[in-house]
Amino acid sequence: MPQQASPVFPLNRTAFVKRDRRMPRPGIVPSRSTTLAALAGAAALGLALTGCTSAASSGGSDEPTSGGTLTYASGDAEPTCLDPHVGGNYPQALVSSQFLESLVSLDADGAIIPWLADSWTVSPDGLSWEFTLKDGVTFTDGTPLDAAAVQANIAHLQDPETGSSTGYLALAKVTGTEAVSDSVVRLTLAQPDSALLESLAQPWLAIESPTALMRSQDENCAAPVGTGPFIVDSWVKQNAITLVRNEDYSSPPADAEHDGPAYLEEIVWRFIPDSASRYAALQAGEVDVIDNAQPDTISQAEASDTIVHLDAPRPGASNRIELNSGKAPFNDAAVREAFIRSANIDDAVASLFQGSAERSSSALSSVEPLGVSRPDLFDYDPDAAAKLLDGAGWAEKDSDGYRVKDGVRLTVVFPVSTNQSIPAEQSLFEQIQATAKETGFDVQLTKLDLSSWYTALGSNAYDAVSAPYTKIGPDVLRILFHSDGITPAPSGYFANHAQVNDPELDSLLTEANQVSTGSTNGGDADQRAALYEDAQDLILEGFYILPLYDQQNHFLLGTAVEGARALPTVSTPAFYDAWLNR
Amino acid sequence: MLWAVATVTFFAVRLIPGDPAEAILGGPGSQTSPEALAAVRAEYGLDQPLLVQYLQQLGRLATGDLGRSYALNMDVGPLVLSQIGGTLVLAVLSLAVAWLIALVLATWSTGRGRLAARIGTGLEIVAAALPHFWLATTLIVVFSVWWGVLPPISTADARGLVLPVVTLAIPLAGFLGQVMRESLNTALESPFVLSARARGESDRGVLWRHALRHAALPAISLSGWAFGSLISGAVVVETIFARPGLGRTLLNAVTVRDVPVVVGVVMVVALAYILMTIVTDLASGLADPRPTEIGNGGLS
Repeated sequence: MPQQASPVFPLNRTAFVKRDRRMPRPGIVPSRSTTLAALAGAAALGLALTGCTSAASSGGSDEPTSGGTLTYASGDAEPTCLDPHVGGNYPQALVSSQFLESLVSLDADGAIIPWLADSWTVSPDGLSWEFTLKDGVTFTDGTPLDAAAVQANIAHLQDPETGSSTGYLALAKVTGTEAVSDSVVRLTLAQPDSALLESLAQPWLAIESPTALMRSQDENCAAPVGTGPFIVDSWVKQNAITLVRNEDYSSPPADAEHDGPAYLEEIVWRFIPDSASRYAALQAGEVDVIDNAQPDTISQAEASDTIVHLDAPRPGASNRIELNSGKAPFNDAAVREAFIRSANIDDAVASLFQGSAERSSSALSSVEPLGVSRPDLFDYDPDAAAKLLDGAGWAEKDSDGYRVKDGVRLTVVFPVSTNQSIPAEQSLFEQIQATAKETGFDVQLTKLDLSSWYTALGSNAYDAVSAPYTKIGPDVLRILFHSDGITPAPSGYFANHAQVNDPELDSLLTEANQVSTGSTNGGDADQRAALYEDAQDLILEGFYILPLYDQQNHFLLGTAVEGARALPTVSTPAFYDAWLNR
Repeated sequence: MLWAVATVTFFAVRLIPGDPAEAILGGPGSQTSPEALAAVRAEYGLDQPLLVQYLQQLGRLATGDLGRSYALNMDVGPLVLSQIGGTLVLAVLSLAVAWLIALVLATWSTGRGRLAARIGTGLEIVAAALPHFWLATTLIVVFSVWWGVLPPISTADARGLVLPVVTLAIPLAGFLGQVMRESLNTALESPFVLSARARGESDRGVLWRHALRHAALPAISLSGWAFGSLISGAVVVETIFARPGLGRTLLNAVTVRDVPVVVGVVMVVALAYILMTIVTDLASGLADPRPTEIGNGGLS
């Protein structure tokens, strides 16, 4: 893959610039968009970049100026703990990316690049990894970053007392750590893990000061200490987190634009749950950046010449409807295909998302280089759907127009999480309900809050469900589609909502995860890519999921904000290179 | 009363299907491990039978301990204390502004003929029927987006208070105004007003010194109820205007089945309601003209 000259996306102030990190969609020919598309994508990206950088900005200075306070308004839930080791969800990642850093990062092409670790090597059997740490980095409490610090972090993540979910799962194969020297740390694995570097790049595995980790969990949750460009100064619950500049900052990721301290003096991180208020606050100049921009505000912003839209889809899985193949009616592949063919997604997405979301036909996010797109499988075709249902024994219809078989109506129970599905997505599900009815499906949508929704899933009381899953890299497929993910743990939790149980798929996913080196190039990388391609074909051709679009992640930036970008890891905003042109 | 509130709240929250442990660890983009779930259940006693959990909760409440939040990593007492200020300021100011609007409208439109009365009644009915979320959004669009004169979110200074207070005050003013007008009209037709006029009292004097005191009584009693409704209105208003406060705390806590916080907030609100009812009873006593008129009969 060609290296990008500049992975940073300068944002233009005057004109609306949509940053497009997506792969181009394959055209009429249903092609497998893996390596070829990735190359084409990189080329397109290069062109887009040239276009961006050459556009002149109006007024003010073009040189970054230091100082000022940036106010960020988040629509995500306020974290209950600012340490992303504890639990580990997206709201935590959003804010902790400002003050915590990871061992490695990703560049815009999805390649692993150095961050707190300068370099790394892996043994031929893939069971031993050595990371050499960057020189002269200290945490903001003065503790030096050394091998022992990394060991303390891994121990913290693996300690059940910490209550880590995301980081804990990501380190499942790590059985031991060792300080080879002050600056070299070795991780020992039980089995090879081709996803290790991608896991370590995630903000949920950020490296914190070992001294600070020894405080009580309450203290550490209130103000975690890292190496990042900003420091947690105060946190007034339900109001704001104040972050101040780290004057001694020395560890930007390899793709940053400058060295030394950040330009911004302070970031005020606010929580504004209401979407309309958030946008109004941006328009009124009370805040400079908002997240969770909804389709209606994005289209308003596109019309404005002062607000810049940053479209940064999250990595991992695409947003998709998972069809429960573990029980009737979706234990029949023909019925699953019939449902998919009877849902008119394209028109609904176009009207509800007003151009802000692009239809996906992949199990993976479009930012995943190894994603396979199969638009041929997900066309709206009610005639084909009707034929499939006739053939599967659902030929009769009852007086309400729904199909029946042996006196049972063709019912699809679809619990919807109002916390995880934005209003436009909830409307999309209603439109799917309406179009699937024409073919004879009785789709029963129930809107539930998060904990009721978890309960519906845990008790297997669903036929279809849509759950986002953010993770770097294609290993997310193993979590979502390996049969190990069906058996609910004693807690009732499981991730394989489609309940896919295919030994061939299991062995492909296990093998891909255990390709002996995690290097992202060379012969092993090709082998890994080929395995994931085969696995995705099995998943898509089995009609276990109905892909919708990428996991939406839109930021709107006020007119004064320059140099902000989304980190290519999990698409959280990065303000290290940002400055205010007021 | 407080025991009943605690009991009803506890079971109402716990009987909604949903697992607090999932909600504590869950949240967008998180990946919950079974080990972590088990740890959380054990930590908060969620693995105990519901009745045991209820009795434990009640025992803690009896000793004045509101317990510890499942989700927020802090004790409920300090949490409520840190959030109550914002809600009280909002509720008290809204009540004051609602009274002001209701008084102005009722006194202006009474005794000025049919048209004025109709305008007054019409405005009150419309105001009382306005839902908070609609009013809040409309005010934001007009004053923040179009005119840019007031911030749509809370600010360090008082400017951020204007829109939320007005949002809460307008529907309340409608209610208070309706009650006030009705009793004002009744009072103006009653014999004591006639006798006051007979003693040469002016129209304004009658209105302000006699009739209004009668008319205010039902509205004062209503203020106790109004205070409760303001706190429930705060759930909507604090969320839309991104203000810290008990309403937003309550909403978040219900979403994640954070029983100690829900019970704690509801208890505090119930306590505030009881206190407010006592205050309005006292205020009615002070405003009630009957004892004073007997005492000062000769003077008026």
